[in-house]
Amino acid sequence: MEEYDVTIIGSGIAGATVARELSKYKISVLVIEKNSDVGLEMTSTNMTLVCQGGDSLTFRPGTLHAELNVKSIPLWPKLTKELGVPFKRIGGLGLIRDKADYLKFLKMYSRAFKSSLKPDAPYYISEKDFQPLQFLDRRSLRELEPNINPKVIGALYDPNLAVTDPIKLTKALAENARANGVDFLLENEVKHVERKEGYFVINTDKTSVKSKFVVNAAGINVDRIAEMVKARNFTYVPTKGVLTDFDEETSEIFRHQAFYLPRLGEPHVKAVVPIIYGGLRVGIYLDFVMRSDKNLPPQGLQHNLNVIKEIVPDYPFEKHIKRTFFGIMPLTNAETGWHDFIIDIPEHVPNWINIVLGPAGVSASPMLGEKVVELLSMSGLYLEPKPNFDPSAKRGVRE
Amino acid sequence: MSGVPERVSLDVALKIINAMIKFAKDNAMLPGSYAVVDEGGHVVAFERRDNAPAATADIAIDKAWTAATMKASGRILEVITRGQGWRLNVKHKGRLTIIPGAIPIIAHGRIIGGVGHSGGSAEDDLKIAQAGWAAIFREEDFNVDVEEKLSLARRIANEVISIVRKESLKPVSVSVVDEWGNLILLYRMDNAPFGTLELARDKAWTAAAFRIPSEKVSIYYNGSPLSINWNERLTPVPGGMPLVYDGKFVGGLGISGNTPTEDRRIAIEAVKSLGLQVFE
Ligand SMILES: Cc1cc2nc3c(=O)[nH]c(=O)nc-3n(C[C@H](O)[C@H](O)[C@H](O)COP(=O)(O)OP(=O)(O)OC[C@H]3O[C@@H](n4cnc5c(N)ncnc54)[C@H](O)[C@@H]3O)c2cc1C
Repeated sequence: MEEYDVTIIGSGIAGATVARELSKYKISVLVIEKNSDVGLEMTSTNMTLVCQGGDSLTFRPGTLHAELNVKSIPLWPKLTKELGVPFKRIGGLGLIRDKADYLKFLKMYSRAFKSSLKPDAPYYISEKDFQPLQFLDRRSLRELEPNINPKVIGALYDPNLAVTDPIKLTKALAENARANGVDFLLENEVKHVERKEGYFVINTDKTSVKSKFVVNAAGINVDRIAEMVKARNFTYVPTKGVLTDFDEETSEIFRHQAFYLPRLGEPHVKAVVPIIYGGLRVGIYLDFVMRSDKNLPPQGLQHNLNVIKEIVPDYPFEKHIKRTFFGIMPLTNAETGWHDFIIDIPEHVPNWINIVLGPAGVSASPMLGEKVVELLSMSGLYLEPKPNFDPSAKRGVRE
Repeated sequence: MSGVPERVSLDVALKIINAMIKFAKDNAMLPGSYAVVDEGGHVVAFERRDNAPAATADIAIDKAWTAATMKASGRILEVITRGQGWRLNVKHKGRLTIIPGAIPIIAHGRIIGGVGHSGGSAEDDLKIAQAGWAAIFREEDFNVDVEEKLSLARRIANEVISIVRKESLKPVSVSVVDEWGNLILLYRMDNAPFGTLELARDKAWTAAAFRIPSEKVSIYYNGSPLSINWNERLTPVPGGMPLVYDGKFVGGLGISGNTPTEDRRIAIEAVKSLGLQVFE
């Protein structure tokens, strides 16, 4: 049986990021992925947004969700440059319909600044990594977006907001990890894990490996995998998010990310994102589901069409629909809406790390590696840096 | 079970309870009480594990009731009431339980019931209740082994249900209490009116309190079949049976849903087929 120091289950953005981070050290690392390539699940079915500015600063203070997102802000430009992955600042618009919206944004905005831009703030970001947000009146908003709904009276403009290609990023991270010595086992689904004295035996549908540490980054299946060794000390509800893509022509119609604040009785997200290769992505119709649910609810497209029409009323978006699809993400504290990430060693199962991301998981990923390294060294894994780590080298994960 | 349920049936409620017990055991949390109610706040299934304090039973039920009827989780209610929840509690005759571990069952964008757990710290109660609600989104069932007393209570309740089904009788509520009259188990079959819940529970209590079948209590202690009325739990009508297992008195069984004589017959048959002492 092959033996590794660390085995990572799953190669979405979480698994690939951790693999690359660990490839900086002199340890043996294996990644097990059930699909024939990396990044094909949740990481391929999202808004592609990198919460770079005001939005991540408004996440609930004290949560990992806020901490990792804010701390990731300065890391994105360097990371994407090293790996040759597209990263584009498109800017975001928090749309204001009335005074209530304005007051809400004002509150968010001031909280954001209080919590991060002062040097003694818990998650400090220096001014050079962060362009200030500003309120736009009707006229300046129209200059930026001439086609916007005339009922919108202004916006909170966030020049920092960016998009990326999460699949390409995941591939690049995995290939860089591979070039730096990490092994990949594709088309292997983890079926059963045994906890032994001092190590784990991980059984896939094809083979078995031994590992001292396990990083469980199986996306929507983190709970099931954790249950195999009684390491599920958390709960999430699989949440389906339906998205609609509109063709490249629509890029001419609207150029920024934009969203409406949620209102009472409107449980679904209302947002549009110009994706990096052109076209608009609109969503998100949300529903709590079983993870095996393959049904594309018709209300999804309907909601998404209503959203884009509420943002740009006079354009025949019906004629520009490219596709409607969904992703399923884990939502923790779903009964209150107080989502948070989980990156944690369960109290009763040492040497095992669960990673549950969910909303804004791609955005927070640059900080993930560091967090996992911290947990592994706390658990007694000796991590000695490799002098010859190459941050940009690539090697196919199948080689 | 296929798909997310539309309503809280007994099967759904039992799946939720099993998921909670499994979660608590996997995480070495204290044994507690587990309650699932429907959208009206009435119990569909309740279980208390051996060694869980008896008082946790009604706390768990009241938490589930609070979440279902306030349509919000305990944590949200804590925030809304700014820690002044006890004022509301007084208004609701002490029933409103604004403590973590109370979670509404949200499905298809509606609230179809509530889950309550009591027995651990506030954090554990919350985590266990969350594991319960989330079970309705899991494809697989959670089968768990439970301790001795609860296990016997489950066998009795399942026997009662299978007799009712086999004979196409009216759906019942069935309750098992321990030797002190404290609740161990309460199930309500689908379509059994909620009024049967308290009747079943009180018949079980009556049988356990006097260690004779519930309907004998008036004659034996009052000298007349007329009801004595000095305790609001006392329900001297047929359908309550003392439980004597291996020669040892262990509690009471109560059934309600059919005519009292029918309920009594079901109880006798159930204890008989499980080898417990029969009181004719
Ligand atoms: C609709 C929607 C919109 C979103 N929008 C954004 C956004 O704009 N910005 C943002 O930052 N985030 C967004 N997210 C969240 C983001 O997509 C996720 O946080 C992120 O992709 C999670 O990555 P992951 O690696 O944890 O999971 P995944 O990408 O799902 O990776 C898990 C991997 O584990 C593998 N796996 C699972 N089970 C097994 C097994 N038994 N054996 C072996 N391998 C297994 C899977 O095949 C998969 O490759 C959105 C999510 C959704 C659903």
